[in-house]
Amino acid sequence: MIRRAAALALIAALGALLLPLLLGYHPDEALNLTACYYAERTAADLGAANIVTAIVVTYRGLDTLGEVTVLFLSAAVVGLVLARGRTATTGGRPRLPAGELLTTGSRLLAPLIMLLGIYIFVNGHLTPGGGFQGGAVIASGVLLLLLAEPGRRLGHRVIALVESLSGLAYVAIGVAGLVYAGGFLDNRILPIGTLGELASAGAIPVIYSLIGLKVGAEFSSMLANLSETEEL
Amino acid sequence: MAHIALATGFLLFLIGLYGALTNRNLLRMIVAFTVADAGINVVIVAVGHMRGRTAPILDGAVPAAEAASRIIDPVPQALVLTAIVIGVGITALMLAYAYKLYEARRSLDIGKFMELKW
Amino acid sequence: MVSPLVLIAAPLAGAFLLGLVRCPRAALAVTLATLGLAAAAAGWWVWQLGWAGAEAVEVFTAGTPPPFAIALRMGLPEAALTLVITLTGLLSALHMQDNLAETGHRAMAVLLVAVMAYCGIVLTRDLFNLFVFFELAAIATAGLILLSADARALGAGFKYLVVSQVISALLLIGIIFTYHATGTLYLDGIAAAAAKPALAFFLVFIAIAAELKPFPANGWALDVYESSHPAFSALISAAAGAASLYAADKLLTVGGPAWLPAATAIGIVTFVAGNLLALPQGNDRRLLGYSSVAQIGLVLAVAGQRDVLGEHYHFVAFGLLASHAVAKAGLFWLSGMVAERGLAAWAALRARPPLIFAFATFVAMLAGLPPFPGFYAKWELVRVLAAEGRLVLLGLILFGALLEAGYLFRWFGFALKREPSGEGLACAPSKGIPVLAAVLAAWGLAWQWGDASAQANLLLGLPLLFALAFVLLDWLPAWVKNTLAIAGLAAWFALTLGQYDPLRLIFAVIMLAGGAVTLLASYHAHGRRIGFYPSAMLMYAGLAQLILAADTFSFFAAWEILTVGSYFLILRGRHSEPHALSYIVFSLGGAFLILAGFAVAADGAASFAVADLATLAAPVAPWVFLMLAIGFMTKTASIGLHVWLPGAHAEAETDVSPMVSGILLKAGLFGLAVLLLAMGRQKLGGIDLTLAMLWIGAASALLGNLMAIFQEDAKRLLAYSSIGQMGYALFGLAMMNHLGWLMALMFVINHYIYKSMLFLAVGGVAKRTGTRDMYRMGGLINLMPLSFISVLVGIIAMSGVPPLSGFGGRWIFYNALLTAESRLPMILIFFSGPIAFLYLFRLIHTIFLGQLKDEHRRVKEAPFWLMVPQMIYVVLLIAFALVPGVALRQVDGHLGGLLPAGGLSWDGLTITSDFGYWNPVAIMVIVGIIFTTLFLWLVFVNRRAQKVKQFNIVFAAERPFRPETTHFAWNFFAPYRKALGFLVQPVATGFWNGISGGLHAGADFTRRLYTGNAQTYAVHLLVFVVAVHLFMTGM
Repeated sequence: MIRRAAALALIAALGALLLPLLLGYHPDEALNLTACYYAERTAADLGAANIVTAIVVTYRGLDTLGEVTVLFLSAAVVGLVLARGRTATTGGRPRLPAGELLTTGSRLLAPLIMLLGIYIFVNGHLTPGGGFQGGAVIASGVLLLLLAEPGRRLGHRVIALVESLSGLAYVAIGVAGLVYAGGFLDNRILPIGTLGELASAGAIPVIYSLIGLKVGAEFSSMLANLSETEEL
Repeated sequence: MAHIALATGFLLFLIGLYGALTNRNLLRMIVAFTVADAGINVVIVAVGHMRGRTAPILDGAVPAAEAASRIIDPVPQALVLTAIVIGVGITALMLAYAYKLYEARRSLDIGKFMELKW
Repeated sequence: MVSPLVLIAAPLAGAFLLGLVRCPRAALAVTLATLGLAAAAAGWWVWQLGWAGAEAVEVFTAGTPPPFAIALRMGLPEAALTLVITLTGLLSALHMQDNLAETGHRAMAVLLVAVMAYCGIVLTRDLFNLFVFFELAAIATAGLILLSADARALGAGFKYLVVSQVISALLLIGIIFTYHATGTLYLDGIAAAAAKPALAFFLVFIAIAAELKPFPANGWALDVYESSHPAFSALISAAAGAASLYAADKLLTVGGPAWLPAATAIGIVTFVAGNLLALPQGNDRRLLGYSSVAQIGLVLAVAGQRDVLGEHYHFVAFGLLASHAVAKAGLFWLSGMVAERGLAAWAALRARPPLIFAFATFVAMLAGLPPFPGFYAKWELVRVLAAEGRLVLLGLILFGALLEAGYLFRWFGFALKREPSGEGLACAPSKGIPVLAAVLAAWGLAWQWGDASAQANLLLGLPLLFALAFVLLDWLPAWVKNTLAIAGLAAWFALTLGQYDPLRLIFAVIMLAGGAVTLLASYHAHGRRIGFYPSAMLMYAGLAQLILAADTFSFFAAWEILTVGSYFLILRGRHSEPHALSYIVFSLGGAFLILAGFAVAADGAASFAVADLATLAAPVAPWVFLMLAIGFMTKTASIGLHVWLPGAHAEAETDVSPMVSGILLKAGLFGLAVLLLAMGRQKLGGIDLTLAMLWIGAASALLGNLMAIFQEDAKRLLAYSSIGQMGYALFGLAMMNHLGWLMALMFVINHYIYKSMLFLAVGGVAKRTGTRDMYRMGGLINLMPLSFISVLVGIIAMSGVPPLSGFGGRWIFYNALLTAESRLPMILIFFSGPIAFLYLFRLIHTIFLGQLKDEHRRVKEAPFWLMVPQMIYVVLLIAFALVPGVALRQVDGHLGGLLPAGGLSWDGLTITSDFGYWNPVAIMVIVGIIFTTLFLWLVFVNRRAQKVKQFNIVFAAERPFRPETTHFAWNFFAPYRKALGFLVQPVATGFWNGISGGLHAGADFTRRLYTGNAQTYAVHLLVFVVAVHLFMTGM
């Protein structure tokens, strides 16, 4: 009880500390310098209709590379944690097979879900969404498969291959920007095309697709690793 | 509007933090942290919001020339994406750790993992 | 042109590539190659920016200038830090290659990303990007913790994740509101913004500060350090620590001066608390963890002083940081070679002398001893702080540094003296190479900092180089090294002979020529005697440079060098571990006072001549005098500060005792002489400080002698007697008149000769009889006649009776007393003379006369090489007694110029003062006649005496429980003890033990704060945040 009261007091103190942020907040009337630059120049400079995507993939591309790396790292560490001290598990108890309905349904849905994911990241520079969202959708398809057929092992090799190749390609495109355009991760190594078309915005769709693949692979790898813990 | 969102975000953050400090169960702590993360994400998005403007996507409704006066600040939206992804990564990591800790001790009580101290 | 982006792109590409590599060895090769590439790139930038004159570059990503896209900067600080990070990464990877190969490609990928993230933290100029890199580093840390074999690492990793969640939440809130207020995330843009959001920036600042593991919000870090793989701990401590510090530095630049006091406060509290809490630690890695936390705190405190450090800021901060990084990484790598976790387990290192050298290097580097960068940095820091009047901070820094030296040297003592237990050393080349690299880096940095320093480069000093050469020559047999050492001392003396004034000449003769004579005794040692010569020559190097030092920097450097050298030397004794520790702690404490005194005196001047101390005026002068005097008196073991001496001198090896007693003590007297010559009498609060010194000298003489008479151990007796002798000399100097000084110098010479001689003689006897307790000896006169002669001559000289030189000393002394103003201390010192008789008498009586012990029937004379210097001393004593003028006349004249009144007149062989005359030769003749007459008469009256066999006395009782109590010489002066015992109660020892015990108890109590519970740690963090906020808004 004292513990909770103390925690409450501490949280209250922290709240009091943060309160001025809330009370002193005034929404901007106009875009600030940075945002204004993005609003005015994105279309002309990068050719991306979705400004957020332009920021995510290009202007703040280094963050995004880091973000992808965070997922890569998380997947790797989840793998590491779960592999630590693991003795070869001998299957555990036998499971009931999934019902016919579930299996068929999930096999029908999974490709559609993946297709949606691909659509989302390919169009990332035009519409809301992008590599992360698309990747997450793909991973949800994988999750569906995992849930519907728990006994099934995913192809770790395939996942690892997609993970590595998309990551390498991403870094390579970044370096290409350094060599052939204005700087690391500059999307103008490809023509920027016409605003609003699928094949526009230079390397952004390529990068976002790679991100989508990579994110999908990372999430799948994490999910697969976590699902295998069930056997204990 | 922005204040309501901000207040909600802060409140979620504080509730999450309180939960993380008082729940001794590892899984509850992790859930509490996701609540706190969600609160922060709400705060970030709320900071970018501007009354009467639209999403920062250029199309027929928002021509490039008028963008500066029609769209909301796109930067917080880009940041929140990163923040969410990082939050997901850390949550996954904590879950894996919790699982492994449970495996070692058959307990999810945070008080059971205090052999390193002083 | 190598783009700085290589540092980010290469490790990333390597990490992604690893997923494709199946074979663990190949994956390891990829990892090492990638890290090597990154290190080469960083090294190339260091070269370009530091030497080739390139300018710092700003790298734009996305082909867009900041603030619209993320920018990186590569300047010299960034290059240096990324070099540290990548090299630590490379060497740590090498060190833990087996674990990496076992765990597979994932772990290597995580390691690569960790290194990339640290580099990113250093390079980026964007606030949110900084956050991303910090998160990457956090997740990578959570992964790499798992490489440990320690099962508890899992718990530590979870605690770390909990805390880093809280930190990142605060950071994010801070970032978004900073962006909202300034409209940019570009650091330079935020710095330039008109309205700075104080609260938002506070959250950013406090989050980064929390990454630096500040006290008390650092329990998680200690658990991580304790349970992680040591190679990874090296990475966290050196690389992550450096990166986070640089992030904090960037924020301080952005935030401006208003944030500096908070940084200083957080830093210094962490520094002192970390070092204090390290005191009771028994686990090596946890100890290193506390030390890391403390060191990073110190650098943060320095970062908070950038406003006053100005152009020296980088020199100081990087000096401390480089010392920390190299030494800490090296120690963690060493810890990976030691099988067990107790501090004493490091005794296993003794199997490999190079590893001991590495350990010594790292300890000295961490403790900020010369010639390492920390030394130069500390000097500059203290100088600036003193000039700015930030004395509290200065005091806290020195106090923390002393604590740190205390536990580091205690640990080093364990490694050298404790018995190595069962499990040995993992000595694979992959573990040795990183340690070797760290040692090379340490010495390279020492050179670099000396070179960049505004002061002299210590590694250019010939004596120091000569001493260091013995490290490389340690494979030679001892007699070769001994010859080299003697030749070196003699050559240096001959080389510098012209540079001494008569006063310095006396000290030079004793320290250099006298040192060479003392070294003759070392020929008796066989084998290689690993470690002896580097230590001894280090001490002599310090002494040689001390006498020649003209400015305060070289004086202080020499002082520290001789202190370290003598510490290593003393530590060699069989039971000297605790005594060596108290020696180094007292010496460093004294040295820090000297440092502070010099700094206050210099008042900001870059270079300050020792002689310029004379130009100081009140109110500064008395304080400077006080600090310097106490510092020097620590070395002369004045009463109250003497507790280290008896053990250190008594437990030292036979030939070391004369060095540390006969020679080393003179360093303190030299310092006092220089100080008094320059500053003269000083008054503080109405008290004449020289008068206080007079009293201290008298008390030291009386109590030192008194304590000596109750000793059973012959070497301890001599050691206590040194306290008394130094008291005389101090008294003489403090009289501040001509005769007093002459007497002090006479004591300097005499004490060197007879104390060296007696220590050698007693040491020789102890070597042959196997004991130092006098009541276990007796009747050795026939078996060890030469030793008897030297002890006899020694005590005659020392007790100050005619005809030997001691009498000359006394004679000048009494003359001086008659001219002095203070009568009461004079009486004290007068009484200590007869007391000296009491203990000296025991030396000859108990050891050489009386009955021979049964077990000593076959004892032989002391080894030849121990006798050689003794015989030289006998000759010297007699010569000095006959013609004291040879040495003293010049000095007398020299003193005449400094302290005019009341000199002596030297007329042929007769010396005249205001109160009478002294003719040494006549006295010698007269005493000779009296002695011969008495001796002949005794022979005549005893001509019918009958010889009695030893064992015709019958003990008619059973053997008592403590047989020594029946020996007549045991507790010989019991009646005196009854009468005067209250004077020799170990008050000072009790006092210092109380302080040390109090510190330990306090630390032991405080560290219970770290309960080991993740939630408690999170609470600590939040309390820390709230407390700092209150502190800052309260300011």
